[in-house]
Amino acid sequence: MKTLMKYVLLTQLCTVAVAGQALKKPDDGSISIEQGLKSWAKIYDVVSHPRCVNCHVGSDNYPMWSGPSYGKTRRHGMNINAGNSRMGVESVMCSTCHTATTSEAAHGAPGVKASWRLAPVAAAWFGKSSDEICQQLRDPNRNGNRSFEDVAAHLNHDVILHWAWQPGGKREPAPYSLDEHVNDIMSWGWAGVPCPSDSDEALTEDITNE
Amino acid sequence: MQITVNGVQHEIDVEDDMPLLWVLRDELKLTGTKYGCGIAQCGVCTVHMDGLAVRACQLRAGDAQGRQITTIEGLGTPEALHAVQDAWIEHQVAQCGYCQSGQIMSVASFLKFKPNPTDEEIDFALSSNLCRCGTYPRIREAVKTAAAKLRGEV
Ligand code: FES
Ligand code: FES
Repeated sequence: MKTLMKYVLLTQLCTVAVAGQALKKPDDGSISIEQGLKSWAKIYDVVSHPRCVNCHVGSDNYPMWSGPSYGKTRRHGMNINAGNSRMGVESVMCSTCHTATTSEAAHGAPGVKASWRLAPVAAAWFGKSSDEICQQLRDPNRNGNRSFEDVAAHLNHDVILHWAWQPGGKREPAPYSLDEHVNDIMSWGWAGVPCPSDSDEALTEDITNE
Repeated sequence: MQITVNGVQHEIDVEDDMPLLWVLRDELKLTGTKYGCGIAQCGVCTVHMDGLAVRACQLRAGDAQGRQITTIEGLGTPEALHAVQDAWIEHQVAQCGYCQSGQIMSVASFLKFKPNPTDEEIDFALSSNLCRCGTYPRIREAVKTAAAKLRGEV
């Protein structure tokens, strides 16, 4: 795992001269599909967690309030709708309340040093199954044209994503850690980005071909 | 630290994480901006930072440094009211008045992006500014008048 993380860090720092070890991608097939699916299951634990999924909502542009601190799942209070801009330009900008600092107070507004906003509609995950999100994340047409390495790299430089593990106050953080999540993405990627329904698909194909 | 409010630079001696609302009310004695909930739920503390609405209870003083803060005291002047203030008087919007500076600051920011808002858009924009007196119908009419004034139609 340590090697995976080092590889990720190196891919981040590609413009920086890094002395020392030459880190290599593991040999093809050296991370099994089974291991990849285990990593995917952990990735799903993260991406379906309220700290992530509350802002990965669909084209109705309503952020959600869900998770341990809210009890019942509901839309963001105060009739907040982020609009097609996904950052509230049409009505109340997210940054009106979500400032550069996360509020430690119960039910205060979280914030980071970046524009608070919803994820793009293509990355709508709220209420979706593990397999649905898996298909979205490995599809370049729906993941911002990213390889799995790019997805991992994206996690390293977007501070809104970092907030999920340091949400402040009594908010429950996303599970595992940012490093572990990045490693899981790399492991999933090197295993060939398997999704839970792949084996069903293979089975169906076999049966159809018979 | 230095902080610029209504075009005037102030030197203040406060902790970085003091909410801007405290700075305005307790340090600068600008009490037009009100305190309601302290957790971004009522909108009564709304001011502008670089021309856009922001809840002063959520903004740390340190994050307001180097930015232009405008409060209700600096939006217009008694001789030259802002169009939103003008419309507010025309429609006699205020009841007790406590929420009104926040409402006006929110509207002044909102109309920059939506110069001709529909009822639904006004509701979306102002549902996070609470009014215990229930002046919402008058607020909605005043927003439309203010928008027309800003468009130069009245
Ligand atoms: S006092 Fe700031 S939103 Fe209520
Ligand atoms: S006028 Fe009284 S709270 Fe709005």
